[in-house]
Amino acid sequence: MGAFRSPGIWMKTAQAAVLAVCMCFTLGASDASTRFDRLSHRLMCTCGCAQLLGECDHYGCPDRGQEAQELNAGIAAGSADQEIFDSFVARYGATVLAAPTTHGFDLVAWIAPFLVLAAGLLGTVLLVRRWKTNPAVAQTAAAASDPAAIDPAAKALREQIRRETDFDGGAGL
Amino acid sequence: MTQSLGLILGALLALVLFVYTFWPENAFASQREKTRLDFLQERKEQLYENLRDLNFEFRAGKYPEEDFVAQRSQLENETAQLMAEIELLQQG
Amino acid sequence: MATFGSLALVLALALAAYNLFAGTIALRLLATGHPARISPERLADTARRAGIAGFYAVTAAAFALVWSVFTNDFSITYILEHSNRALPAAYKFAALWSGQEGSLLLWAWLLGTYGFVLRLMHKTDVKLYAYAGTILAGIQVFFLAVLNFAAPPFSLFRGAIPPDGNGLNPLLQYPEMVIHPPMLYLGYVGFSVPFAFALGALMMRYPGEKWIRITRSWTMVTWLFLTVGIFLGMHWAYAVLGWGGYWGWDPVENASFMPWLTGTAFLHSVMMQEKKGMMKSWNVWLIFSTFLLTMLGTLLTRAGLVSSVHAFAQSSIGSWFVTFMCIVAAVCIFTYVLQRSHLKTEHQLESLVSRESSFLFNNLVLLTACFVILWGTLFPILSEYVQGTKVTVGAPWYNKVAVPVGLFLLFLTGVGPLLPWRATSLRSIRRNFVIPVIALWAMVVVCLVAGVRPWTDGAFDAGNFYALVAFALAAGVLTAILSEFLRGAGVISRQTHRNILSATWLLTRRNTRRYGGYIVHIGVVVIVIGLAGAAFNRNQEQELALHDKLVIGPYSLEQVGATQDTNPNYDSDYALLDVYKNGKKLFQMAPEKRVYAASGQPQTMVAIHSLPTWDLYVVYEGTNPGTGQPIIKAFLNPLVSWIWAGLVIIVFGTLVALVPNLSSATAAPRVAARSTVPEPVLKGGD
Repeated sequence: MGAFRSPGIWMKTAQAAVLAVCMCFTLGASDASTRFDRLSHRLMCTCGCAQLLGECDHYGCPDRGQEAQELNAGIAAGSADQEIFDSFVARYGATVLAAPTTHGFDLVAWIAPFLVLAAGLLGTVLLVRRWKTNPAVAQTAAAASDPAAIDPAAKALREQIRRETDFDGGAGL
Repeated sequence: MTQSLGLILGALLALVLFVYTFWPENAFASQREKTRLDFLQERKEQLYENLRDLNFEFRAGKYPEEDFVAQRSQLENETAQLMAEIELLQQG
Repeated sequence: MATFGSLALVLALALAAYNLFAGTIALRLLATGHPARISPERLADTARRAGIAGFYAVTAAAFALVWSVFTNDFSITYILEHSNRALPAAYKFAALWSGQEGSLLLWAWLLGTYGFVLRLMHKTDVKLYAYAGTILAGIQVFFLAVLNFAAPPFSLFRGAIPPDGNGLNPLLQYPEMVIHPPMLYLGYVGFSVPFAFALGALMMRYPGEKWIRITRSWTMVTWLFLTVGIFLGMHWAYAVLGWGGYWGWDPVENASFMPWLTGTAFLHSVMMQEKKGMMKSWNVWLIFSTFLLTMLGTLLTRAGLVSSVHAFAQSSIGSWFVTFMCIVAAVCIFTYVLQRSHLKTEHQLESLVSRESSFLFNNLVLLTACFVILWGTLFPILSEYVQGTKVTVGAPWYNKVAVPVGLFLLFLTGVGPLLPWRATSLRSIRRNFVIPVIALWAMVVVCLVAGVRPWTDGAFDAGNFYALVAFALAAGVLTAILSEFLRGAGVISRQTHRNILSATWLLTRRNTRRYGGYIVHIGVVVIVIGLAGAAFNRNQEQELALHDKLVIGPYSLEQVGATQDTNPNYDSDYALLDVYKNGKKLFQMAPEKRVYAASGQPQTMVAIHSLPTWDLYVVYEGTNPGTGQPIIKAFLNPLVSWIWAGLVIIVFGTLVALVPNLSSATAAPRVAARSTVPEPVLKGGD
């Protein structure tokens, strides 16, 4: 917390406030349980409740206990994440993974949304650009700034319009 | 509640609603076509609204002077054309 | 009462069908000008009255069902399956929508209610309302047909009638559940109204954009109901399901979120049409898709297409819905193709740097978010088709994909209001961005100093990174919105010499939609802050013998005993936990486990101690069968209460936006101008 060493009362107050708010962000848990927590949130409970293994909480779930045991055994044996996932897939099928993998066709699941966003962004920018260079728009803009294009009758109208729409600051409210 | 009471109540409801629906009455609202003038008035109000907004946003510091003047004259031109047509229609 | 209810439903169907047929014929006659034996306007009016009468008939049916619940009429299968004698009165109402038949009846009744109000107000624009009313009748015919033929709520139980019912699903016996489904349904059903107006306006080639103004309050109210419904559902999930979270990306949750996204996009982009006559086709398609998505949502919730903890009622009405959605889509496409020349844009966009273009991007991102959810919901089916194996697309995927999209949207929430309508150059408004950007970077520094770092132990931590970005953007966006208020108030204050507070008040009164909208944005930012807190959630599960302690964060929970309670509806077990902080006892928590008498189903009741900084959330998981000791799971969830606070701000903002603008002195000429014309116009049309 070296950043906190600068003097000044306001700085101290700020420190206190920041510390108070962010106490909640200081994490601390043992390694195995953190790892269990992390991995169990990437696996599904297979009983059909459609919940994550780490969050499945319905009473009397027939599968949660066994899956948790297997996961704990895998962690205790020091297997890598991928090995644990592979053994789960081998036993329960691909649906046990809570998210698609990042290889093969599954990759499409991850890429498509960002592709759509990028294509949409590009499309929108191009659309706006095309609109901007649209000759019809350019023409009206030119006509608007050309004082010669305005005849006297229109000028009177415009003055009326300006009077009626000028911002009066809410006088009389 | 017995079944027959239910039947009677249902029949009663049917009768009341039928009478309500088909009661001969002359006062029904006519379906007026929206005229060109109505449409132009609406447009004019909207353009006025846009102009007021433009004025306000300029004062709030969201436009540089030259942008504001260009935008305003463009909107005013459009409104003026519209108002000319309104006057024409009103005279006719 | 079953007979009466069934009769009322048949009657309602007949009336809705008459409304649809007579309405269509009348409008057709009017449009083509064919001579007819009966005045088409008169025919249209009987159609309208049939709509009103139909509302009374559906109301009678709903009343019959409520009556049957309260009189414990277990001869009706639906009542038998969803209620029991000991059920508290409020939950007897909830029984009305806890099953499929009942909730479809609720749908029909709400649609009837909306239609009733609409038909009473038809003098605003008789023709437009006639079109909208007829379209609504078409939707109503569908729901009533389902109620009459596929899912009759009044079907009688065959055999000896049991003395007591099976009771209401325990998950639904929670206060929010009494208001969450009706709210959500009000939102779902409500989108029928702007849909009907948009389709009707297109069919009749309605000149101008006034229909948007007419439906504005409908759309906002509907959006508000949907928003409140979704958040009540989140709160219910949080407080009842007991897994410590509020949003599981469950298909049914997603189904309610999709129309919300398109509806939100519609609320924004429709302003461009209203103001400048732009994006007409786009808006029409937005509202068409929103309506279809509400149908999809109802289908998913009700027909059990996907596995979900929320699909409380499942049956075979799916094919009815699919058919109906196909018909709706066909009608929409046909009308659009036929009338698309009517939707020509009057203006073009002047600049990339304008409010208009920010709305374009806002729409793009909202629709991308909608696509993300649809994609995630449908990808398992696609995967099975392509590679032969089904995969799960669960919360981890959504969190990774949807969070960046959401943050981008948050960014636009800040940029949009700073851009003026029409065109300007970025250079000229650069100074408007200075303060928000400073606020943003200041927040980054504060977060880094405080320990919200995008890396832990040298490894990149996505959760922390997103939380950091969310907090920083939140600071920037809040500053941007506040500066927008201040800038506007400054103008008024200079002109009228008011103090800044009363100037802000006046500013809001004069343009309630804009500034109400900004308040809604503030609410959204507050919610995002709350959501970002989830990156720092932690939990601890432990078996607690008497005087054992569970430590989580700064708290230490000591088991000091257990107690039991019983009532006719359920039996409860409580674990009593004294909560200490720094060695000082603060309060006691009593997580509960219930077993419901009628259904024999167990259910946990979470104990929550909510503070602005975090929620201490304690679940009675069960007892260890070996030792008989309670197993307690405690969660420390930072900033969750900000989510509910944000919702309150959103509700307030929407209500502000619904208040009509204060007519200012500037409006005076407008009124004068109006009054000189309309008289002859109104008469001329007859």
